[in-house]
Amino acid sequence: MAETKEKSLSDEKPKPRVRPIVRLGIFLISHSFLVSIVCCTAGVLALFLLPVLAKNTYISENALMPGSASPMLSNQHVSDGNRLVKDLTNPNSKSSETGIESHKIIAQYMLDLGAEVSFHKFHPQMNQFHPLHFFSSPVSGKIQENYSCSSYGINTVGIIRAPRGDGKEAIVLVTPYNALKSGFGEALSLGIAYSVFSLLTQVTWLAKDIIWLVADSQYGEYAAVAAWLREYQTPKFSSLSTPNAEMCPDVNNLFELKGHSISGSKFSNSFRRAGTMAAALVLKVRDQNEQFEDTISIYAEASNGQMPNLDLINVVNYLAVHRQGLRVNVEKLWPLLNSSWLKSLGEIFESLAKVAKSLYPKWKFGIPATEYVEGTATLASSLYYQALGVPTGPHGAFRDYQVDAITLEISPKFSLDKVWRNDILLRGGRLIEGVIRSVNNLLEKFHQSFFLYLLTSPSKFVSVGVYMIAFALLIAPLPMVAASLYVDANSSSNCSKGDSSTPSAITDTDEHGIAIRSWSPTTSFMIWVLLSILSLLTLNSVLASPLACAKATQEKEWALVKSVTISSVFIGLGLMSVINFATAEIGALLMVPMCLLARPLKLDVRAGTLRSFCRLICNLVLGHIAFPPAAFFLLKGMLDGFGNANVGDFWMWVESLWAWNSATYLFIGMVQLPCWVLCVSILFHTC
Amino acid sequence: METFINPKSLFHLLLLPCLLLYSSIAYNSSPVEAAMHTNNWAVLVCTSRFWFNYRHMANTLSLYRTVKRLGIPDERIILMLADDMACNTRNKYPAQVFNNENHRLNLYGDNVEVDYRGYEVTVENFLRVLTGRHETAVPRSKRLLSDEGSHILLYMTGHGGDEFLKFQDSEELQSHDLADAVKQMKEKHRFKELLIMVDTCQAATLFNQLQSPGVLAIGSSMKGENSYSHHLDSDVGVSVVDRFTYYTLAFFERLNIYDNASLSSLFSSYNPSLLMSTAYYRKDLYKRRLEEVPVTNFFGSVMETIHTDAAYKALSRRNSGRFEDEMSLDQSVHHIKRRMLIKVNDGDEIHDINPELLQGEEGASKCPWSTFRNKFQKAENVDSLLNYGLVAMIPLLVISTWLVQ
Repeated sequence: MAETKEKSLSDEKPKPRVRPIVRLGIFLISHSFLVSIVCCTAGVLALFLLPVLAKNTYISENALMPGSASPMLSNQHVSDGNRLVKDLTNPNSKSSETGIESHKIIAQYMLDLGAEVSFHKFHPQMNQFHPLHFFSSPVSGKIQENYSCSSYGINTVGIIRAPRGDGKEAIVLVTPYNALKSGFGEALSLGIAYSVFSLLTQVTWLAKDIIWLVADSQYGEYAAVAAWLREYQTPKFSSLSTPNAEMCPDVNNLFELKGHSISGSKFSNSFRRAGTMAAALVLKVRDQNEQFEDTISIYAEASNGQMPNLDLINVVNYLAVHRQGLRVNVEKLWPLLNSSWLKSLGEIFESLAKVAKSLYPKWKFGIPATEYVEGTATLASSLYYQALGVPTGPHGAFRDYQVDAITLEISPKFSLDKVWRNDILLRGGRLIEGVIRSVNNLLEKFHQSFFLYLLTSPSKFVSVGVYMIAFALLIAPLPMVAASLYVDANSSSNCSKGDSSTPSAITDTDEHGIAIRSWSPTTSFMIWVLLSILSLLTLNSVLASPLACAKATQEKEWALVKSVTISSVFIGLGLMSVINFATAEIGALLMVPMCLLARPLKLDVRAGTLRSFCRLICNLVLGHIAFPPAAFFLLKGMLDGFGNANVGDFWMWVESLWAWNSATYLFIGMVQLPCWVLCVSILFHTC
Repeated sequence: METFINPKSLFHLLLLPCLLLYSSIAYNSSPVEAAMHTNNWAVLVCTSRFWFNYRHMANTLSLYRTVKRLGIPDERIILMLADDMACNTRNKYPAQVFNNENHRLNLYGDNVEVDYRGYEVTVENFLRVLTGRHETAVPRSKRLLSDEGSHILLYMTGHGGDEFLKFQDSEELQSHDLADAVKQMKEKHRFKELLIMVDTCQAATLFNQLQSPGVLAIGSSMKGENSYSHHLDSDVGVSVVDRFTYYTLAFFERLNIYDNASLSSLFSSYNPSLLMSTAYYRKDLYKRRLEEVPVTNFFGSVMETIHTDAAYKALSRRNSGRFEDEMSLDQSVHHIKRRMLIKVNDGDEIHDINPELLQGEEGASKCPWSTFRNKFQKAENVDSLLNYGLVAMIPLLVISTWLVQ
């Protein structure tokens, strides 16, 4: 209809008319300045509105039915758990150097319950950087060869088979445990897991097998869980690839001994498996008690901002709050809680909501200012940990195999005397039992609820559909500004050079950085900066000589460079938002204003008006902030105090990104740094 | 009876009263346009799978138990269960199903005959059962072998919505499909009266398209309403019964096979505040007054029979009523015999209309045996008459030969 109308209109008038969409585009491009101001403001505002727009979580999967069954964990099971705690904290069990004694105790306890028990030996692996392996599991073939027989860990694995189940699915319970220097908290977490385990050997309602993994955390919790998972998910069928650990004689002897000393026939030396994992829970108990009530902290972020299904968090939250009376925490950026500007912003939103409600009673979107501040702090931490791309606990290893997993950390309020210990064993055990029973009811994988979300509190979330709006608004003006700059510059010249060099320069510098990893962080960082500048200047003088173009076109050259910068930022951010939204959002906040404002300093100095002076100041400030190390220091200083900030910290931070395969590392190297260099080159453009 | 008539047809002229009697009986034994209610069937359907829908299976099994208790035998109940909760691995009590958290009654006891189970419960199979269009290999026990004298109870439970009922989480039965199947049933004389009872969300919408006469429908909730579960069994960990079914069962638990509670008392027993939804019944297609229809007409197997044997004629109405009930207990065995009784009763009614005929044949038509005895008496008279006639023909023969000579 519209087209025919269009046609008839064009028939009437001899002058050819462009289609409305094109006219709209032209209009937006010609008013790109206004559009960019409006969009960027709206984008930042929308980001700050997210805590207000957060929805309450709800259990989306019908089958879960959390809390519909009354807990069966009794005091008998708790006393069983207590017995294990006592045995483990007994000084005799710590006599052995390798901590093998405590593993023996745990295995014996598991066997007494009638579970299948096996040990899993593993060697801690160095992390390797796999670019573009963001969401896939680590390749098993690339196991390093340089094992030493002195360093190995032992995971103890107990499996309960569902009495009437088909053995195709399993639920995993993980308790990290360091036999060499275990705190009381670790022993207590084993006690909780054991009491649940002893209950589950008796129940008739299991539909999925239960795997209890006591992960040897002497080489790190994550490494132990990841090693076990790698073994679990990639069965070795041929003798060619027998694990290298078997070659160490002393290790084998230990296991032989164990096989004989342990009475049960259900002990096996080979690796035992159950079905595909439906969900995994990592259980920890914190030693220090700084909380005023029993709290439970949920850690959910896995590598590259992947989150477990929201339903899993919902189930834990529901059971902890409504059944066991525990307070549930998710990570917050604590310094934000005291910031006065956030509080006043929250008050503004609150009063606005009140006005809106008085105008139209059905508008109910306001939240109290304190709640707003807490929501923002949680949201900021959620964004930060997702952007970091480093898992916040051993659960991250599961996410690499698309298993939904979270870490639960219980912090009891009182000193752990007998009564309180029993209480926390009972409540923690009942919580775990409830979650397991709920997941046991599941018929398929977790799929109903969200995978892409940001938490603003344990029971509130912002879904992808909402938070993408803020991001889209932020980057929307980029193509328009780029187009308008290009159109303006192209009217006089078509010479555009000087941008092709910089990305290659940056990749060069990255390689330098990798080569010098053995030095101390501060020197490494300094050397990296020096080398980068050197190679950048060299390449710039070789490839991007300003003399290549005629003098007349130089006046517009900066506009072309800016146009190219903006388009590459747009493309980079767009791509990154698909891989890791949080990184893209933070990157956009830093880079979009800088790219949009960039203008040669000389021009502003020459103009000498108040407006150009303001722009000059903004450019200088943004030029500093958008430099990744500077941004890092600024954020760290704001959150931790500037006294603690160290030059080497940034190096360490980037190294950890590299070690954890984070896409943020690539983003900084390939989008943020090159664009910052381009912007700086615009600022110092000679025209 | 016709066989009795044929050898005696020579003597029509001599046996006029007998002839009148026979013809009246023969007329009544041909199909009457409004057949009597002669048998009861029940089709009980649970349409939803999965452990968390435990209550739907419990609903259906509870209804199964109730109709069986009230006298519908297993071979006249088609039970369709979409999943096997009793053997689900998540069931804390293997091979048992409960509809109450007190666990007093195991619904999945010894004598449960499931006709369609698991993935057999599809919309197609359901419609085939209703319309009787089975493949030849389907055994008789899986067929609804009802006739024009059948009262059918159709109970369905599951997850529904506006004009549909979900089957197996993959298909749905729409209100058109149901109405069409019922219409086919009517055309094929597969029922006399049909009671459709549905316990789903928005159950009332499922009846919107029904047109066939003789259909009574009741649903647990109106359009836009949800039907809720009654209570949660925290031991088993699931809800075990739905509200509508729970209160239906509560009504029937008070009844036994001899009770005369009417359908209207059942329908008025639903309390919207307890149900948390509005039970809706559609009776515009149903001719009889609900106050006069006992619930056992559908939920049991109690016929409206009037037994009037001569020997019992002096008995009061109440006593004869009890006799009916006893009859219905073993009605499957004595089915044919009772049908005969009914026909004779009809004949009796006709005689009541013609008193002069009745006077001539006092007591003759009360019971077939007396009728036959009477007939045989008549037959002896015929023999003597024949003899007299032959004797009377001798003089005639003599006269005729004398005239010829």
